[in-house]
Amino acid sequence: MIRQLLLPALLVLAACGQQGSPDIELHNAWARPTVGQAPAAVYVTIDNKSGSDDRLTGAFSDHAAMAMVHQNEFIDGVSKMRMAGEINIPAGETIEMTPGGTHVMLEGLRAPLKPGDRFDLVLRFKESGDKTVKVTVMKPEGQ
Amino acid sequence: MTRLRLVLWVMVALAAVGALSLVLQSRSPTVRETALGTIGGPFTLTGSDGKPFNSATLNGRPAAIFFGFTHCPDVCPTTLARLVKLRRQLGKGDDALSIVFISVDPERDGPAEVGSYAELFDAPVVGLTGSPADIEKVKKQFGVYSAKAPLPGGNYSVDHTATVFLLDSNGAFVATLSPQEGDTVALDKLRRIAA
Ligand SMILES: [Cu+2]
Repeated sequence: MIRQLLLPALLVLAACGQQGSPDIELHNAWARPTVGQAPAAVYVTIDNKSGSDDRLTGAFSDHAAMAMVHQNEFIDGVSKMRMAGEINIPAGETIEMTPGGTHVMLEGLRAPLKPGDRFDLVLRFKESGDKTVKVTVMKPEGQ
Repeated sequence: MTRLRLVLWVMVALAAVGALSLVLQSRSPTVRETALGTIGGPFTLTGSDGKPFNSATLNGRPAAIFFGFTHCPDVCPTTLARLVKLRRQLGKGDDALSIVFISVDPERDGPAEVGSYAELFDAPVVGLTGSPADIEKVKKQFGVYSAKAPLPGGNYSVDHTATVFLLDSNGAFVATLSPQEGDTVALDKLRRIAA
């Protein structure tokens, strides 16, 4: 019985592995501290070291009820934060999320973030599958 | 002679007002509709201690006023942290400039919320909120726009003017800081009002 379950599971895992042909690396994931029920913004640098394009399609964290990729825009001096949709990560390029631009927003944090905290964030890519990065909570001035 | 000088000064003042309003028009269209000289003015809101906070409390030193909300994870902490950094770069201590955060989300932000949010920055920041009517009034005074924007999961974000308003030590509006201008430009403006 266990064998019968194990084989399909291994096949699925193998399929996932094959899917990860583009070579995505995540670096420098950081967030500012938070208070109360307020959400957090995580900034990550995504490095596509492969020769083919990939797409960021979603985000997850055990540290929060919900993770969403957001885009901020300034229109006529007004700041607007919206869902980013899928983000293209072109072959050989590095995409750095920065304050006031793109971030991964964490809603429903397990606990407010304190400087020095570290936790895992998973980014899901269309070709490379799930990639995990350690987020470091910085001092309020950030980077 | 004195008369001529006076006339000249009036002309200089008029030119300065004209130039500043041109700058404002090009930099931040959201404040365009409020004529210069009518931006700002006295207000009474609620401090983080829950007591009324009169804007006259800010007189005696220049102030940088930013409108935001505590559930804002990106632009608001970035702007407040930037103001704290710029004040440090001024090199005149925390008394050289008041940094004021006014919530445009009074439904979620009570005195305790704005108080603990203002404490996040390891430096003095004045957190203010008020009744929805109080907040509407002060928004109108500064020509600030805000509107709720729903998020998946039932929560909401708030679209809001991200311009910082600089007041002189008499509480008069003198200039704006834009989130997109460089720190050098911003620091120059702060030096002028904190001279
Ligand atoms: Cu967000």
